Amino acid sequence: MAPHTSHDEFFSSLTDLLSKTTSQAHGSVYLSQKPLIDVPGATTTNSQPSILIRATDGNTNAPNPKKESKDGKITKSASKATKIKLSTVVTPDDLEAFYARYAEVCKAGMTGLKKRDRRAKKAKTKGGAAKATKA
Amino acid sequence: MPYLPTSQAYLEQSAQLLQAYPETTRITTKYNFPTTRPGNAKRIQKSQAKKNSKENATTQTLAAPIATLTLKTFNPGTGICIQYRTNKAQEVSRLITSLGKLAAGADVAGLGLGNAAPVGDVEMVDAPAPAAVEEAGSGKGPAQGQAGGKGKKKGGKGKR
Repeated sequence: MAPHTSHDEFFSSLTDLLSKTTSQAHGSVYLSQKPLIDVPGATTTNSQPSILIRATDGNTNAPNPKKESKDGKITKSASKATKIKLSTVVTPDDLEAFYARYAEVCKAGMTGLKKRDRRAKKAKTKGGAAKATKA
Repeated sequence: MPYLPTSQAYLEQSAQLLQAYPETTRITTKYNFPTTRPGNAKRIQKSQAKKNSKENATTQTLAAPIATLTLKTFNPGTGICIQYRTNKAQEVSRLITSLGKLAAGADVAGLGLGNAAPVGDVEMVDAPAPAAVEEAGSGKGPAQGQAGGKGKKKGGKGKR
C-alpha cells in the first residue's frame, strides 16, 4: 500500500478524482474516515487519536495486488488496471483546518448532485417549503 | 439498516455510536452516479424519448444523471450501520463539516445542530438539548435518539 500522502497532495488528488468522476457521470468515489489506533510507537492514551482519511474510486476491475504476483499477467486495459487509492493522516490539532478544506474540496468536486436553484423553484409552493425544512 | 429520513437524525445517532465505540466505528462517504448497465441505459433512453415526444420535443437535452451522496456510519463489532442518503448539493458542505466534528469526538450537543434553527427559537432549542445529552449518556437505543430529534423539529416549527 502506498504511503500516506500530505494534506496538499491528498486534496489535489481528490479534486482530480472527483472532477474525473463527475465529468464521466459514471462511477463512484468512496471516502472513509476512522481513528488510527494501532500504530506502533504512537501513544494515543492521553489525547484523541489521529484520523485516517481514505479516498478510492472503488475499482474492482483492478487486479488484486495479492494475486498479481502469482498470475504475473495483466490482460485488462490501462484505465481498468489501476485502482486509485489515496490516504492521509490528520492529527487532532489539524482536524478543524483539514475539514474546512475537505468540505470545500467536496463541495467544489461533487457537482453531479442536484443544484440548489432547481429545488428553490419547488420550495416556492407552500407544501414544498414545509417539505424542504423537514428534509 | 434503513436510511434515516433526516441528516440531523443521522448525525445524532452517529455521534452516539461513535461515543459508544470510538475506536472501531468508521464513517464512509460515497459519491456515486447511477449505474448505466446496457439494459438500464436503454430504458432511460426510451422513457426520455417518450417524454420528449409528449412535450413536443421542448426538452431535447438528455438530463444528466444525478449523483447521490451516501453517508454510512458502521461499527463492525456490533454490526450497527447508520445510513443517510441525499442528492442535494447544498448539503455537502454542512455534512462534511459535521463529519469533522464527529471525527473530533463531538457528542450530540457538540454538533451544534441547534444552531440551524432561527434565532427566535433559542429558548425552545435550549430546553430539549439537555434531554438529548441525557439520552446519549444513558446509552439508550437508537430509536430513542430518533424520537428526540423529531421532537426537537416539531418544537421549532410550532414556534414559527
